[in-house]
Amino acid sequence: MTTSIFDTDRENQWCPGCGNFAILAAMKQAFEDQNLKPRDILLVGGIGQAGKTPHYLACNMLHGLHGRALPMATGAKLANHHLNVVVSSGDGDCYGEGGNHFLAAIRRNLDITLLVHNNQVYGLTKGQSSPTTDLAMGTKLTPGGPTSTPLNPLALALTAGAGFVARGFSGAGEQLAGLIQEAMNFRGFAMIDIFQPCVSFNKINTHLWYKERVKDLGDTGHDPTDLPQALAVAMTEPGTQIPTGVLYRKPGVPFQDRFTVLKDKALTDYPFAGDQINDILSGI
Amino acid sequence: MGNDITILIGGKAGQGIQTIGAILAGICHDAGLFVFSTDDFQSRIRGGHSFHLLRVGSRPLSAPSIRPDILVAIDENTYDIHREKLMSSGIAILNKNGGNDGDSKGNIYRVPLQDLAAEAGGKIASNTVAAGVVAAVMGAGLDRVRAVIESRFEAKGEKVQTLNLAAVEKGYGQGRDICFQSPFSFDGEKSPDHVVMAGAKAAALGALAADCRFFPFYPMSPGTGIVTEVAANLGKLPVVMEQAEDEIAAVNMAIGASYAGIRSLVATSGGGFSLMVEGLGLSGITETPMVIINAQRPGPATGLATRTAQADLLFSIHASQDEFPRFVFAPGSVLDTFKTVKRAVMLSEKYQVPAIVLMDQYLTDSARTETNDFVVGDEHHSYIQDTEMYQGETYHRYKITEDGVSPRCLPCTPHALVRVAGNEHTPDGLPSEEPLNRVAMVDKRFVKLPAMTRELRLPSVFCNNSSFFLTGWGSSKGCIMEACLHLREEGIDAGWIIFEDLWPLDAQGLKDMLTGKRLIMVEGNATSQLGTLIRTLTGIEYLAAILKYDGRPIYPEYIVERVKDIQAN
Ligand SMILES: Cc1ncc(C[n+]2csc(CCOP(=O)(O)OP(=O)(O)O)c2C)c(N)n1
Ligand code: SF4
Ligand SMILES: [Mg+2]
Repeated sequence: MTTSIFDTDRENQWCPGCGNFAILAAMKQAFEDQNLKPRDILLVGGIGQAGKTPHYLACNMLHGLHGRALPMATGAKLANHHLNVVVSSGDGDCYGEGGNHFLAAIRRNLDITLLVHNNQVYGLTKGQSSPTTDLAMGTKLTPGGPTSTPLNPLALALTAGAGFVARGFSGAGEQLAGLIQEAMNFRGFAMIDIFQPCVSFNKINTHLWYKERVKDLGDTGHDPTDLPQALAVAMTEPGTQIPTGVLYRKPGVPFQDRFTVLKDKALTDYPFAGDQINDILSGI
Repeated sequence: MGNDITILIGGKAGQGIQTIGAILAGICHDAGLFVFSTDDFQSRIRGGHSFHLLRVGSRPLSAPSIRPDILVAIDENTYDIHREKLMSSGIAILNKNGGNDGDSKGNIYRVPLQDLAAEAGGKIASNTVAAGVVAAVMGAGLDRVRAVIESRFEAKGEKVQTLNLAAVEKGYGQGRDICFQSPFSFDGEKSPDHVVMAGAKAAALGALAADCRFFPFYPMSPGTGIVTEVAANLGKLPVVMEQAEDEIAAVNMAIGASYAGIRSLVATSGGGFSLMVEGLGLSGITETPMVIINAQRPGPATGLATRTAQADLLFSIHASQDEFPRFVFAPGSVLDTFKTVKRAVMLSEKYQVPAIVLMDQYLTDSARTETNDFVVGDEHHSYIQDTEMYQGETYHRYKITEDGVSPRCLPCTPHALVRVAGNEHTPDGLPSEEPLNRVAMVDKRFVKLPAMTRELRLPSVFCNNSSFFLTGWGSSKGCIMEACLHLREEGIDAGWIIFEDLWPLDAQGLKDMLTGKRLIMVEGNATSQLGTLIRTLTGIEYLAAILKYDGRPIYPEYIVERVKDIQAN
């Protein structure tokens, strides 16, 4: 194992063979490739196995509630929009419990990077179905498979207006590190839905299962500025091919630019506006 | 005694009855008189029945009155709904054609407001006609009346201003012919020491004065009024507001912003506060300062959306799973609201704990004359520790300290890594399930409690040797005080005990204060939550309780009647 300035001494709690290790490694590589220092990055974690990722990276860390990583990131970003924010979330955390926040963050064009570790299952709570669980997968609590049709997060993000939508695979580390770096350099909401095998609870979507299906979009002549094309890729029949790479990239007005007061400086950079407040109080 | 009258203006939602009250309040305020207004309205935009109560006094007022001397009926229903409450010496002004007469409940005057407005140039100004009528009845000089109309409609352009001036004169002409027993002297001058303000605005100004800069919100009456008042100052201040997708998002945004160094406040009502509860716990365990204003309304669930209640006291003290220190306040007046919100922000920062301020529809919406003590103060003073920010890897967000308060740094400012977790964590902020650490961290958080308790004030006591004490909290302060003074005038030996700082309370101090006192609880809930709290903390049992949970304010008249009932039994 190579060492990194982003290593922490915390014992890693993931199962041996979990796809999350590769995502963690890709994050470190992406940070290092950008010459970032631990103090430069704010990691915001949801709750779940994916949400634990920030524990294993020596960065600033905000680790809150199940499903609520994006609102926390929104607040931090409004307070100081110079923060370089990366959110680690899971398919349950982001598309289930936090689904409303996911849509809202896209509509805000929140200027962050969202990594969704999509193992198509609730890992940390031991294998219940998630919003992306295959209908054929029985679980302890849903033995006949989930009762809801799986969500298509990429199509959802595209139709909601996300500016940067990518698909990654934990088994393609180099590509993933590149995607993360690209997402972090994108001004606006950048999400990567990362397929990640859960060796303990998802016996259908295994490493091999993904490996047989992934296809790098870079090899297909895909035009990531073309929304209908991106949507067509996102709508690829589930279980057939898994196109990976950047589906869509189109910069828009990032969230912080929608506030006049944040044009010149971050909210944290303003001194206390005592004089103005005194004016307001004396005018009442 | 001085003069003291109440005007009730009733009509349908959308008829602008509050405008009439606001014009009249302006005229009175300009003459140095004291006003106290409340709104009673339904959760609808048009139709139904609403009324506005405006009490005017030549002396300071601390409460509204439900017994009108002047009843202004803009629609058909108002007179029938309220005639029983009209004082026998009072008058009713009906929006109608026809002559004047009277009944056992006073004299009735019919004034066709729309027709007069049309004569003045537009039916739209009929509320201004009504204001003119009442202003004349009350004894205001025409110059004063004109001055208020001029300034009120100045921004709307000359045409609108001229129309309203004509309209107010039409009304004034009619009002002069109406005979009213208690006219005021309008010879006084506006005092620079007084302002007319509602609780919602005071809360917003208090937050701004304490350097709150971020207000994520999700609309819910009556909390919305508070953020609306913040919005009125956007552009003038470094302030960001954001309409969140729900209250859960709002509270988590507030925590995120606070973590990054911005004081944040969320204002909501019970339903929204319920959704924020997990976030409240997150603020507790991460020791991230944050203020929640819960403008109470009757519940549970949707309850009575536009009505008032004081039923979230125990919920606020206990909300969230497990235990952590927090502050709970309930200001008693508009000025108290300004000061309390400032204090709540400051104490939340100082102790790195969440603070909850309990308001309610009555307090947020009622405008009253207050002493102009709305000043910035030093609550904006920062508790962020600059020196620690350079500490690199050795900085620990949850360093164990003697007073439980750890040095607070901001993320991505020079070197310190700021790690915060809603999981139980070691001093460096990383999660840990280690039992000894868990105990150390719970203890660390609770070590703050004695100092927090010392920051809070015990309740105010009036007439320490009274034979009984009207005991309440928060917004009903003024009503309790007025009821008490009224009882004393009648020779009944009443005192009051009023709580505005509610948690954490000094149990021993409270016990010493209350031992031997006979308490009659006065609360806007069905179970006497403050009485329960007092019993829990001190073992002291209250004597009786006057509880009102009909969604309306606890008017002084009601308290007086109920005290007499209790005495009779
Ligand atoms: C409010 C709340 N509800 C439920 C949970 C329990 N819980 C923790 S993680 C999780 C699901 C995580 O699934 P996912 O986001 O897919 O993460 P994974 O573990 O698969 O990486 C749940 C239901 C919780 N912590 N908080
Ligand atoms: S349960 Fe699944 S997702 Fe969680 S650590 Fe184990 S393998 Fe990874
Ligand atoms: Mg999952």
